[in-house]
Amino acid sequence: MNMVRLDKQKFSNFILELSAEYTVFAPGKVGGKTEFVPIRSEDEIDFKTLVTDMSPKGIFFPSSEVLYEYDKQGIRVPEKEIGKPIAVWGMRGCDSRSLLMLNKVFGSAIQMPEDEKFQDPYWKEKYDSSLIFGSACNTPLSTCFCNWFGGGPHSREGMDVFVVDAGDSFLMEPVTGKGSNFLRELTCFADSTEKDEAVAKKLASDAESSMAAPMEVTDLGERLNDLFEEAVWEEISAKCINCGACTFSCPTCHCYDIQDEGKGSRGKRIRVWDSCMFPIFTMEASGHNPRALSSQRVRQRVMHKYSYFPEKYGEFLCTGCGRCVTACPVNLDIREVLKTINAYNKQGITNG
Amino acid sequence: MNTTNELRKNIKSLIAEKKVDLFLGWEKGSLPLAATPLFVTAEDQADKAIFDVTCGNNLSIYFTKDKKQFEGRKVGIAVKGCDARSVVLNILEKQIKRENVVIVGLPCNGVLDRKKVLAKTDGREVLELIDNGDTVIVKGNGFDLQLNREEVLSSSCLACIYPDAQEYDFFIGEARGEVPNEGRLKEIEEFQTLSSLERWEQTRAEYEKCIRCYACRNVCPSCYCNVCFVDQNDPRWIGGTSEYTDTLIFHVIRNLHVAGRCVECGACQRACPMDINLLMLNRKVAMEVKDRFGDIAGLDINGKPAMSDFKEDEKQKFIMG
Repeated sequence: MNMVRLDKQKFSNFILELSAEYTVFAPGKVGGKTEFVPIRSEDEIDFKTLVTDMSPKGIFFPSSEVLYEYDKQGIRVPEKEIGKPIAVWGMRGCDSRSLLMLNKVFGSAIQMPEDEKFQDPYWKEKYDSSLIFGSACNTPLSTCFCNWFGGGPHSREGMDVFVVDAGDSFLMEPVTGKGSNFLRELTCFADSTEKDEAVAKKLASDAESSMAAPMEVTDLGERLNDLFEEAVWEEISAKCINCGACTFSCPTCHCYDIQDEGKGSRGKRIRVWDSCMFPIFTMEASGHNPRALSSQRVRQRVMHKYSYFPEKYGEFLCTGCGRCVTACPVNLDIREVLKTINAYNKQGITNG
Repeated sequence: MNTTNELRKNIKSLIAEKKVDLFLGWEKGSLPLAATPLFVTAEDQADKAIFDVTCGNNLSIYFTKDKKQFEGRKVGIAVKGCDARSVVLNILEKQIKRENVVIVGLPCNGVLDRKKVLAKTDGREVLELIDNGDTVIVKGNGFDLQLNREEVLSSSCLACIYPDAQEYDFFIGEARGEVPNEGRLKEIEEFQTLSSLERWEQTRAEYEKCIRCYACRNVCPSCYCNVCFVDQNDPRWIGGTSEYTDTLIFHVIRNLHVAGRCVECGACQRACPMDINLLMLNRKVAMEVKDRFGDIAGLDINGKPAMSDFKEDEKQKFIMG
């Protein structure tokens, strides 16, 4: 199936039809901030924000999620509030790509020996049935660095349908069979013309060329392993205050904690987001903390994203969305960190 | 006089004369609206230092980070009026010794709240900032916006009475003196006129936004417990979710724990990635502390923090009713 065109006048119809089958999430304003929220109509969508303040990972991996409730009768998984599968409108390439990475962890979407394979039912239930409408970035931000890690402003990875905002219309291109099936069922589209396709191409090349040149990352993992014991981590982490603004706004950070909340003979087991920036993250029952220092925790976050994850899953755990860059209260810019790593040699001299 | 140049000269001579081993200042950050902390240990690094409307971080947090990382070192620090109060509080609470700190006061006209700027640009990215005093100009792709300073200053600055460091070794530029700021409590006064249900709704709506990243706590120079109560799990004092029932507990306890210790620098509010109005409760508590104990946190280096002191004649409404 080729690209189709949806005139913006027909967009509200499209949302209506989508809502009939799916619970639709889209970028929206909550207070002064933007995040992915459930929407019912076009008016609730924020089309202006390119990168939402909070990543969409919370749709599939909520900040707190009850795994089960228990009492004397046994344990029960809470009934789903919403019966419909999830559709997401307006997901940028960096974010849709992050879902593929998370799916490697939670969905075992990677070649693994059978006995190591684990599929998280809470994730799978939401993610496997979802329909992702991606959104091309025509004007990448100065904080965007998706091109460092093989992404791009018009990347289609992780999307079911790729959408380009072409002014008075949305051009939609199915990426997966699921996307194509959905588009086929709707009547509000027109076939795209050659002109439409030329417009999409032009927008893509303009967007790509507007981005700063990427840093070389090929040997990043090796360099990091090599520098594990070096003093450079103290230099890098000096200003870090070890809050979780980076990890919680990150679309790929996925560490969690399991907590029990009980009272008398009943209670619930909850999964909550956790952050390697927090001292309690690695606090052992003995009272020993293997990552007691800020520098050790910063190193862990960088190593996980750019060394351990690539070793295990074959790609960096970073899509270059830039959220951590803008969210950091002390402007500790991950791009600067990686540049420092790249320029550092073992004699302790930082080049450039 | 150019404050930044004077500051650089000052840092250089402090380092050259070995009066400090390390100087805490700010340098230009990677984003136009935020400076970033700078740790100067050699003279040539001093030329990176800046002081302008983007220097919002209260650098005295680093005195207590990773406990005693500066032990045995003499540390210089650039301060705004509020930051100086944090340094004083750290001294009064015996986290650092006065003789090991060199305080450099700077003339402060307030710092930006970047969330306020971004609200004005309607989601468009700011690529450049020009500070013209009464106005600031922000530029981005295809726009050029002139904003009144008051519109984009941190709300802590709009309510500030003491913009100058009261305790310092050097002061660069001209002090502004006390600012009357009669309207500083307007927000609290308005809040107090609401019914308890309305107050609850408003408070709940604020703390519902919290994602528990603890950026507010970690940028706060008064929050330096060895182990914060939220980081204890034996016993566990607070549930782990980001539901308001848990987040509210965190914020209220933090709020009470910094009673008489909060210098109202606004770092928490500026750091919050979720745009929570954290200052209001802090200011309310500071107001109560002043009313009951006559104390303003960190203002007087010869004083004692309100909660560490007891006077026979102080109001004891809480106990005596």
